[in-house]
Amino acid sequence: MPKFTKPTWFAFGWLGLMLFFVLFGWLLPFKPWSFVYENDLEVGLFSSGHILGTDSNGYDMLASVVAGTRISIFIAIASVGLGGLIGSILGIFSAYLRGKIDTVMVTIFNVGLSVPNLVLALALVSVLATNVDINQAVPTWRRVMVLVMSLTIVLIPILGRIARGATLSWAGREFVTAARSMGMKDSKIILKHIVPNVLPALIAVAFLAVGVVIIAEASLSILGVGIPDGASWGGMIARGRNDLEYAPHVLYVPLVFLALTVISTNHLGDVVRSKLDSREAKV
Amino acid sequence: MAGSGTAHLRNTVDAVLTARDLTVEFRISKDKIVKAVSGLSFDVIKGETLAIVGESGCGKTTLARAVLQLPPPNSGEVVFDGTDLTQLPKENLRSARTSMQMIFQDPISSLDPRMTVHQLIDEPLEIWDRGTRAERDERINTLLNNVGLEPELVLNRRSYEFSGGQCQRISIARALALDPRMLICDEPVSALDVSIQAQILNLLQDMKDRFGLTMIFISHDLAVVKAVSNRVMVMYLGKICEVAAPEVLYAKPAHHYTKALLNSVPIADPTRQRATELLQGEPPSPMNPPSGCRFRTRCAAASALCADQEPQLREVTPGQFVACHHPVA
Repeated sequence: MPKFTKPTWFAFGWLGLMLFFVLFGWLLPFKPWSFVYENDLEVGLFSSGHILGTDSNGYDMLASVVAGTRISIFIAIASVGLGGLIGSILGIFSAYLRGKIDTVMVTIFNVGLSVPNLVLALALVSVLATNVDINQAVPTWRRVMVLVMSLTIVLIPILGRIARGATLSWAGREFVTAARSMGMKDSKIILKHIVPNVLPALIAVAFLAVGVVIIAEASLSILGVGIPDGASWGGMIARGRNDLEYAPHVLYVPLVFLALTVISTNHLGDVVRSKLDSREAKV
Repeated sequence: MAGSGTAHLRNTVDAVLTARDLTVEFRISKDKIVKAVSGLSFDVIKGETLAIVGESGCGKTTLARAVLQLPPPNSGEVVFDGTDLTQLPKENLRSARTSMQMIFQDPISSLDPRMTVHQLIDEPLEIWDRGTRAERDERINTLLNNVGLEPELVLNRRSYEFSGGQCQRISIARALALDPRMLICDEPVSALDVSIQAQILNLLQDMKDRFGLTMIFISHDLAVVKAVSNRVMVMYLGKICEVAAPEVLYAKPAHHYTKALLNSVPIADPTRQRATELLQGEPPSPMNPPSGCRFRTRCAAASALCADQEPQLREVTPGQFVACHHPVA
């Protein structure tokens, strides 16, 4: 059993709780998050029946924030997973093959990176997530898919460059030449020697990317292009802003959830990276 | 030292490897080309150890890799066991390479840090599907015993848990796994402590005798070369200066560069006067080598002829070939 510090255990615990909300949140004995408690508008924290209070619409904050976890975490994991997969495949191949393919790929990555993330995501969402008939609302699932897609596109060059850099340094090692002189095929060299060595660096960055994506999704919601019915953390923050003066908990509850989650993923990213560094130092 | 020519090739049927007119170029930018190896020929006879010496950057490693077609040379031919490797289709080359294995300079970087010793040595056997699981395990144990490692102690450990010398032993075991006919050792001991160097050299010699290997041994350490080789080839800026048996070469170098190299070997005796003739300056850039003899810019005996004409390899004493217009008398 590896030894972890207290903050690391806390990060594990918090992310475990979030994961529990994502997977089993629907089993908790809540009414649907959008159920309106007409007699309990804007009650504060720890009031009877509403541990985290309610907001100005009469929604229970705990039920909302658990429902929001599902959307925020799903978007983060899906886009980091997809972006990481596509990005690392592109990065590893271009670095391994070098030559023209690599030049083209680096140019594409650089163009992607030169556009500010939020602007790119904003443009993609507003183009892709609109209906032909402007009077008809865009279904939530489609908004979620478009969000995932645009955040994936933003992530591909970031993670792709990490994968490419790591591959460049590993592919130059002599054990790769040795494998080739033994008659190993390139495809197998990539699978057996490159991918396992590149993976730790990618995982470390992926943890950081999860935090970045959660914040990006919240920013988009606050800018009004997130999930329309305000079900994600960002959406809740956007709605809570208006009540800041009278019922600050409506803003702070989702904010604390978001902050703790991002801090936890960043911390775990650092832990993975430092584990990796000590390994590297030994090599 | 422009060392073109093929006078030193022995053209016998015993030659395991014959390289003719090898050229390896690297394109740095649109109009800058580095000729790391230019028009170089050599042969290695069965059971022989050919040492390639020269200072850093003269193309020794590039030459070794060109023999293995990693990357293939830009021109020239590499005939191994009667087949020209440069002409082989990719799939045949893959299997042909297995009879030539390479030992690298950096013992740690030549082993994947994520793999255990068992996986490392099993790797070549697995690629070529040599025998059943049990047979392969048996073979791995034999190989480890051959190189002086205790299988039970090392099998499940990873490369970073070993010292440089032990890593080099693992590399040798791995290289021998496919029963190669030729071993290309690229500075196999230069990263090791002097006390370990002798052990690894003895091990290589032992393996060579036991399995009848032919060897190419690259080094910049003339003392090491003297101990292991049957024939020495001195390189400078991608060309051959001199080829001879080590006894001849060390006693009576014919090329001014060889002489300078020998003079630069440190002597473990502080009271003895060092040879005064040491080389001045740096080797010229391989991007823009001097005309004629490539060594003339640093050679005491250089004349107008040297700038004009590239010297060809010729036999000065039996078995000693030198590419110089004015060989050392």
